[in-house]
Amino acid sequence: MSHSSAQPPKLVLRFFKWFCDPGIHRYLEGDLLELFEANSQQKGVKKAQWVFVWEVIRLFRPGIIKNFEGTQKLNYYGMFKNYFKVSMRNILRNKTFSALNVTGLGVGIASCLLIMIYVHNELSYDTYNAKYDRTFRILHNFGSDVEIPADGLLPASELQVWGNAPIAQALKDYFPEVEHVFRFTTSNSFLLEYNGRRFQEEGIAFGDSTFYQIFDWKWIAGNPAVALTRPNTIIISQSVAEKYFGDENPIGKVMLADSQEDYEVTGVYEIPPNSHFDFNALVSMKTFIGYRPIIFESWGYVDFYTYFTVGDNVDIKTMEARIPDFLSNTDNDQEAYTIGFEPLADAYLYSEARRQPGPTGNEDNIYIFISVAAFVLLIACINFMNLSTARSMERAKEVAIRKTIGSGRGSLIFQFLVESQVLTFLSAVIGVLLFWISHPQLEILVDKRLPLDWLLTAGNLAIGMSLVLLLGLVAGVYPAFVLSKFKAVKVLKGAFKNSKDGIWLRRSLVIVQYALSIVLIVGTAVVFDQLQYLRQFDKGFDNEQMLVIDYGWDGKVQRKLEAVKAELGQHSAVESIAASRATPGDFFPNGGTAVKDKNGEWIWTSPGVYEIDEDFIPTYGMEMVTGRHYSSDHPGDSAYSMILNEAAAREFGYTNPLDIIGKDFMQWGREGKVIGVVKDFNYVSLHQGVEPLALRYSTRWSTTKLSLRLKSDNYTQTLTELENIWMTLAPHRPFIAQFSNDNFNRQYETDARFGNVFSIFSGLAIFVACLGLFGLTIYSTTQRQKEIGVRKVLGASMQSLVTMLSKDFIKLFLIAMVFALPVAWYFMNTWLEGFAYRIDMSWQVFAIAAVGTLVISLLTMSFKTVSAALANPVESLRDE
Amino acid sequence: MGKYQLGEFEEIVLLTVGVLYGEAYGVSIKLSIEEKLNRKVSVGALQSALKRLEEKGYLTSKEGESTSERGGRPKLYFTLTPAGKDAIEYAREVRNQLYNQIPKVALDLKLVTA
Repeated sequence: MSHSSAQPPKLVLRFFKWFCDPGIHRYLEGDLLELFEANSQQKGVKKAQWVFVWEVIRLFRPGIIKNFEGTQKLNYYGMFKNYFKVSMRNILRNKTFSALNVTGLGVGIASCLLIMIYVHNELSYDTYNAKYDRTFRILHNFGSDVEIPADGLLPASELQVWGNAPIAQALKDYFPEVEHVFRFTTSNSFLLEYNGRRFQEEGIAFGDSTFYQIFDWKWIAGNPAVALTRPNTIIISQSVAEKYFGDENPIGKVMLADSQEDYEVTGVYEIPPNSHFDFNALVSMKTFIGYRPIIFESWGYVDFYTYFTVGDNVDIKTMEARIPDFLSNTDNDQEAYTIGFEPLADAYLYSEARRQPGPTGNEDNIYIFISVAAFVLLIACINFMNLSTARSMERAKEVAIRKTIGSGRGSLIFQFLVESQVLTFLSAVIGVLLFWISHPQLEILVDKRLPLDWLLTAGNLAIGMSLVLLLGLVAGVYPAFVLSKFKAVKVLKGAFKNSKDGIWLRRSLVIVQYALSIVLIVGTAVVFDQLQYLRQFDKGFDNEQMLVIDYGWDGKVQRKLEAVKAELGQHSAVESIAASRATPGDFFPNGGTAVKDKNGEWIWTSPGVYEIDEDFIPTYGMEMVTGRHYSSDHPGDSAYSMILNEAAAREFGYTNPLDIIGKDFMQWGREGKVIGVVKDFNYVSLHQGVEPLALRYSTRWSTTKLSLRLKSDNYTQTLTELENIWMTLAPHRPFIAQFSNDNFNRQYETDARFGNVFSIFSGLAIFVACLGLFGLTIYSTTQRQKEIGVRKVLGASMQSLVTMLSKDFIKLFLIAMVFALPVAWYFMNTWLEGFAYRIDMSWQVFAIAAVGTLVISLLTMSFKTVSAALANPVESLRDE
Repeated sequence: MGKYQLGEFEEIVLLTVGVLYGEAYGVSIKLSIEEKLNRKVSVGALQSALKRLEEKGYLTSKEGESTSERGGRPKLYFTLTPAGKDAIEYAREVRNQLYNQIPKVALDLKLVTA
């Protein structure tokens, strides 16, 4: 017969040879090959190979498997079984200690998993984009007093993400490396309406049609390539689509925006939760161009975020080097304008640029969370080590007998390691369960979706398994060495009653635990102190009981703004009322602004711009440093006047605000005199100092909000009454109002979340430490039971007994404090540096933390010490 | 019964070895059983049965000549021993006896109800 080319899998053959009894291997292999040959001719090679594999698997049975040489392997199996049995018996016999260990390690593992999934999510931002590595964004600098270096490159911290429109096309024209460019604007709110469903929709921006070439958003309906190519088209997120259209297909439907514009829905998308910006809807840029064509040629009008991709293997550094040449080749007319590039990879976690399109992460917080997770695990491991070594006496006899029978030290070590592995695997199961239960809570706490799928890959499961093995090894290796060291003769003679061995190590480990707990408690106290401080900080304006009504850019309301103000102002609870474009805590634009310096030279800068009416400054209780605020008594104010804050005056070169009064200014096509300087107030979060701000007199068309200072005994009723007035004035627009305080404090939500997460995990760490302390107390009191009995008979009081039992730990606590306090001080000082306004860490914080730790540990110990001191001495002294 | 212990599958294997007289080796036995009894037999199951039967002394094995067909591996031929022959006969006798002891009624009844 001709030799067929079909071959059975070599590896399987070799496997078969490995396990098969060599006496019959030759014949069986022959049979298998013959069958394979026949099968591959009848049923095809593929099928034959499967049959072959299946046959070999079924040959793996007693009678065919060879006897493995010698007796070693068999013995291993037997010993293994024994180790497991002994481990299980031990775990079950000492229920208290096993429970303490398993709970501690379980909580530790669950905390680690929770923090891991959070950290992974933070690190995964924007990685869903296929062109992640070659996507960049433009950072801008608009004339300020920063000295621009010769190479034109400013550090990112001096630049802002928010920029102008024409740079996008210019960039694409100049740099051949640039493949695609995409711009979007700041998000606004629109009143969207479809089929009687009308809601004020936040987070709607204008965007270029090129978005799909750079960002890989999940696309649900429509064709992304043409979705935003025409004017008056809108793509909406899935949640918006469900809200307005339910089960209907939204594609091709028309939504009414702000009661005046028709937008055709051309797509439904979903931006992944780990994107550093998000929109509820995106309106085509062509629409915006139609509204305000001039700003698309203005290099000074700032409202755009620009992202671009470059070709493969393009070095961004060489592009950066050409920035000065690039800018001189454009029709840019801005003084001191320059740009920089920032990779998408830096956008969420590492960007120092100002004016971000969405919330950014914090690298330090990630390190802090990882350390806390490590602390919890470390504390749990220490519990395990301490409890195992402390109770080593109970195992001494077993070890001695095993040694006498002939066990070597190596196999004893192995036995104890198996025991710790069994325990850690048990803990891992509990940890995963706890994780499963608490994962939704964590999502609520951090207000983020944390998808689980990445955790469930085969690779991660394998890593998880090996980490659990490693954990068992770390926790078990020291006890294993201690326990296996006992001298059999000594133990069996009975001369071996008490082990002083390892007591120093045990004490040091308790000190470590105490120190970590103190650090965490200090941390929690400082974080909460700082957050409290931020909330109560004198911001330089008063927004208590300030109700803000948001009417967007609603032309119908703007048209009769004066009437609306007057009507609402007549309500008895309204003390004063003001209109403006933004209120503190809101988004506000920056604007190119020039003021003449002392020598009559124009100085250009780009301060933030608040557009306010004449009632704004008094309504918010802001203080004028010098000059006057806007007033209807000065009709010229609306066209020729400007108010600045102190920081802006300084930036224009006037250290004394008095001197800037009456100086010429230019801003957004308006020229006139500076008439007043307002005292610096914190209009953004206290992470930053007060930045320069221009308070421009608004026209009714540039306002979006009404601020009402209320004074009322019954706010619910007042709100209803105000809403009724509103509905008669503007029946087409829902009454959208919130207290300014809530809005302003939203800036601290990230901080508050950080505080919550930090304190919860610190609490868990301290809980685990308490478990360990409790275990040690149980052990030490049991050991001294007789002593306690004798002392009691001789007349010792309960207090003195409890003191005696706690004394040892208090000593350790004091030592721990010496180490912990400086460390805690250092770390929290670093954390506080992220705030422009921060508390001084007072000694009280440390005192509270120290006393807190002491009280917690004394309470923990008292569960056992008190009952030990109360016990009837007869019980412990009777000896039969 | 205690004298000749035979499982159902073992009995079939033993019978087949007899049927294939002189030509009984792994593959031929497997194919023969698969064909006549219309059931799948794995090499592993068959090999265990053959090994048990040999240990019980019902079969002996002898190495055949190697050919190029089976990757150069020789065949292992099985033949019945006298004890094997006795075992088959005993099994058959027991079955016949049992069959004959079934009352006629039981068999008739079945016909009626069917």
